[in-house]
Amino acid sequence: MERAVTGTGAIRHWCAQRISALALIALMLWLIEAIFAHLGEDRAQIRTWLGQPVPAVVAAALVALAFFHLALGVRVVLEDYVQTPARLAAALAANRIACWALALIALAAIVTLAFGL
Amino acid sequence: MSPAERPLSPHLQIYRPQLTSVLSITHRGTGVALGIGTIFFVWWLSGAAWSGACFSAAQAFWDSWLGKLFLFGWTFSLFYHLLNGVRHLLWDIGIGFDLRSTYRTGWTVVAFSVLLTVFAFGGGLYVWSAL
Ligand code: HEM
Ligand code: HEM
Repeated sequence: MERAVTGTGAIRHWCAQRISALALIALMLWLIEAIFAHLGEDRAQIRTWLGQPVPAVVAAALVALAFFHLALGVRVVLEDYVQTPARLAAALAANRIACWALALIALAAIVTLAFGL
Repeated sequence: MSPAERPLSPHLQIYRPQLTSVLSITHRGTGVALGIGTIFFVWWLSGAAWSGACFSAAQAFWDSWLGKLFLFGWTFSLFYHLLNGVRHLLWDIGIGFDLRSTYRTGWTVVAFSVLLTVFAFGGGLYVWSAL
C-alpha cells in the first residue's frame, strides 16, 4: 500500500512534529496562564485583551503552530488506521482542508480582534 | 494471497495491556482530543471577533454540564500530552530509553497529569464560582 510519509519526507515530517512540539510547550503554558487570568470575562474584556499587540501575536503563533502540529499528527494516525488507498487519500485531504480552514478562521479572528475591526 | 493467513503483530486481542502500550495509545488519544478541542476554541474566538450572539452561545456551552465535562477532558488531555510529549522529546535525544526509566517516567507522567488536572480544574471551578 502506498504510504504518504516515506523517504526524506518522513524525516522532514519527524523534525517538524518535534520542533512544533517544542514551541508548543511554551505556548500551551501561556494558554493555561491566559485561561486563568481571563476566566469569566465578558466579550468586551476579551476584545480589550486580544486588542493588545503581545497577546494577539502570541495567540497567532499558538494557533499557527497548534494546527501545523495537529495536521502532522493526525496524518500519521490516519496512515496507521485507514486501510484502503482511496479512503486514505480522501482522509488525508480532509485533514489538510480542515486544519487549514480552522487555522485561517482563527487567524482571521485574531487579526480582527488585534486591530479592533 | 489471503491477508488473514499472514501473522499479524502484535495480536491485540491476546496482548496483555502494559503501561508502555497504554501510555503510547493515550498520547495518541489525547492528541486527537486536543485537536477536537481546537474546534471549540475557534468557535469561541470567532464569537469574540464577529458575533456577540455566537460568543454568548460558546460561553453558555462552557457553563453547561456537558461543557464542564468537556473542559475536564481537555484539561487532562493537555497536561498528559504535554508531559508525555516532553518524555517523547527526551527519548528522541536518547534520555530515559531503558526499561526501568521508561516505567519510572511513565508513572511520573500519569501521577502529574492527574494531580495537575485536579488542581487546575478544581482551582478553575473555584475561581469561576467565586466570580
Ligand atoms: C503542549 C505541547 C505539546 C507537546 C510537547 C507535544 C508533543 C508531541 C510529540 C512529541 C508527538 C509525537 C509523538 C510520536 O512520535 O508518537 C506528538 C504527536 C501528536 N500531537 Fe502533540 N504535542 C503538544 C501539543 C499538541 C496539541 C496542542 C495538539 C492538538 C492541537 C497535539 C496533537 C498531536 C497529535 C494528533 C499527535 C499525533 C499522535 C500520534 O501520532 O500518535 N499536540 N505531540
Ligand atoms: C468554529 C465554529 C464557529 C464559527 C467559526 C462561528 C462563526 C460565527 C459567525 C462569523 C457569526 C456571525 C454571523 C453574522 O453575524 O451574520 C456567528 C453567529 C452565531 N453563531 Fe457561530 N460560529 C461557530 C460555531 C457556533 C456554534 C457551535 C453555535 C451554537 C451552538 C453558534 C451559534 C451562533 C449564534 C447563535 C449566532 C448568531 C446568529 C445570529 O446573529 O442570528 N456558533 N457564528
